[in-house]
Amino acid sequence: MRKLHSLEWRLSIGLSIGVTLFWVAAAVLTGLNISEEINEVFDSALEETGQRILPLAVADILEREEEGLSERVAELRAHDELLTYIVRDATGAVLLSSHDAEISDFPAVADTRFETTDTHRIYHDSALRGSLTISVADPLTHRREAVTESVQALLVPLILLVPISLLGVYLLVRLSMRPVRAFTQEIEIRNSGDLAHVEAQNLPREIAPIAGAVNNLLDRLRRALEAERSFTANSAHELRTPVAAALAQAQRMISEAEDDNTKTRARQIETALIRLSSLSEKLMQLAKSEGASLVSEQEKDVVPVLEMITNDFRHLHGASCRLKVELPQGAVHSTLDLDAFAILVRNLIENALKHGPADGLVFVSLSPEGELRVQNDCAPLTSAALSDLKRPFARGETQASGTGLGLAIVNAIATGSGSQIHMRSPITGSDRGLVVSIKLAR
Amino acid sequence: MRVLLVEDDMILGAAVRDQISADGHSIDWSTRLDDAKGNIAGTNYDLILLDLMLPDGRGQVFLRELRAHGDVTPVIILTAMDQISDRIDGLNAGADDYLVKPFNLSELSARLNAVARRYSGNPNPILEFADVTVDLAERTILKAGKRVILTSREWVLFEAFAQRPGQLFSKSQLEDRLYSFDVEIESNTIEVHISRLRKKLGKQVIETERGMGYRLGPG
Repeated sequence: MRKLHSLEWRLSIGLSIGVTLFWVAAAVLTGLNISEEINEVFDSALEETGQRILPLAVADILEREEEGLSERVAELRAHDELLTYIVRDATGAVLLSSHDAEISDFPAVADTRFETTDTHRIYHDSALRGSLTISVADPLTHRREAVTESVQALLVPLILLVPISLLGVYLLVRLSMRPVRAFTQEIEIRNSGDLAHVEAQNLPREIAPIAGAVNNLLDRLRRALEAERSFTANSAHELRTPVAAALAQAQRMISEAEDDNTKTRARQIETALIRLSSLSEKLMQLAKSEGASLVSEQEKDVVPVLEMITNDFRHLHGASCRLKVELPQGAVHSTLDLDAFAILVRNLIENALKHGPADGLVFVSLSPEGELRVQNDCAPLTSAALSDLKRPFARGETQASGTGLGLAIVNAIATGSGSQIHMRSPITGSDRGLVVSIKLAR
Repeated sequence: MRVLLVEDDMILGAAVRDQISADGHSIDWSTRLDDAKGNIAGTNYDLILLDLMLPDGRGQVFLRELRAHGDVTPVIILTAMDQISDRIDGLNAGADDYLVKPFNLSELSARLNAVARRYSGNPNPILEFADVTVDLAERTILKAGKRVILTSREWVLFEAFAQRPGQLFSKSQLEDRLYSFDVEIESNTIEVHISRLRKKLGKQVIETERGMGYRLGPG
């Protein structure tokens, strides 16, 4: 399965990367711009310096008594000399130089006023029709340092601002997504049978139509389920009434008939009607168990229903009833529809009574945790036989009469409602018996 | 007992009516709720057998109205609606028992007698006084250990006394119980039946309160 991404996470990361990239690009452009401006300022200073020193140097050289001397200007007080200069004659001989000037830093005088070497930016200028030239050098490291310091001054606050802005983006996205998160949470936590409208207040315009569609779908689903329920109930009603009438008349005929032949025939009709009634009943139950009305909107207590059904069996079988029932003290809630639960219990008990020995007890219990167990004595069943019993019309190797639908109905209700069903044979600690346990859906 | 059957299916209704009559009870049969309301207004019934889906309304609504008016007549619902929710709804509406169609007529008889016994204040179906033992569930009477056979009309009258020992029954109340046997009730019908019961069970079995009526005697 493909991993699901959080929209919040994706928006936060995307926005943060976008903002960061934008800031980095802006910083690079600003850095380039600063570098260019700094160079312009430094060049201008270099030019001004050259032009200011040149007349002084010319005067100084002309006043010399001896020509061709190379003089180094002494420093007035100790300092780092960033700008150095030399004055050369037309032959290239150095006549004057600043106190820290390295002659090797100065290339031969070029035609251009500005020149860049590997280590310096040089400004050339001349006087006396080119007989004296001055070259002023500014070390490139000085300029780079200035640019670096400027860019650093720009980047340091940015480096601090980026995480703050990321946090801001994340919080903003999270805040904006809060109604969406509440909406999805409400859908997530509800049980599968809850068809009430989902709260859709304060949803963003982009999400609101989804909530509307979900609620419309829930409405349609509810109507469909109600129609299904009503159809199942009405069909059962319409089918049962004529069967009940025919059965009652057959039983009256048995009571009133004076000759044995008529009595026998009436009994045969009665038997056939009881079989028809039982089969139609089971088919109705199977239809319901395979339908969608197995889960109720709210959890309900199943204990009174279990009590009612086990009492029905006691009523039906009287003193000979073989049921041993163990009910919990308190309520046991389940989302399983109560009618579906009643069908499930009735089928489990009928099945156990029918297929257990005539004098064998059937144990029915419900734990406070919602585990229903029905246990009866019988020859052990193989795992293949157990899984066969869950199929409709599978009757196993029993001699007892039945429709072969009981456990198929139980299985369909359990799986359809999200309840876990487990069949085990033989019973733990014995070499016989069958126990069906169902963990009721919650 | 005097029973009211409210059932719109003619074939089923006829069979139930015959069964209840054969059990020795008198029965009136309505196929609609408005008809049933008319019957209840004019007669005191001991038990009502009520279908839930009738042409002019729902049985549950009728039952709720009945209980809201303080009528405590026992009601057994006979219905094809088998869902547990319908059943809980029916019992909550005030029914005493619930029988799902199709049912065995013998089961109906047993439930009918059980509900009647519960309402008589004497849930024990065995009643003993002097040398007479009455089994209301099995509808048998032993006098000094010997079986005594009653006609269905005699049983209906005797059952009324046995269900409510000590209660005084007026002549018209007893006549009501015989009403649905489709026989003409003459002015001395009750006296005739009481006299026969005394012959079969002993003179003291039923006492006469002059000008008032009859009640179960010491035997």
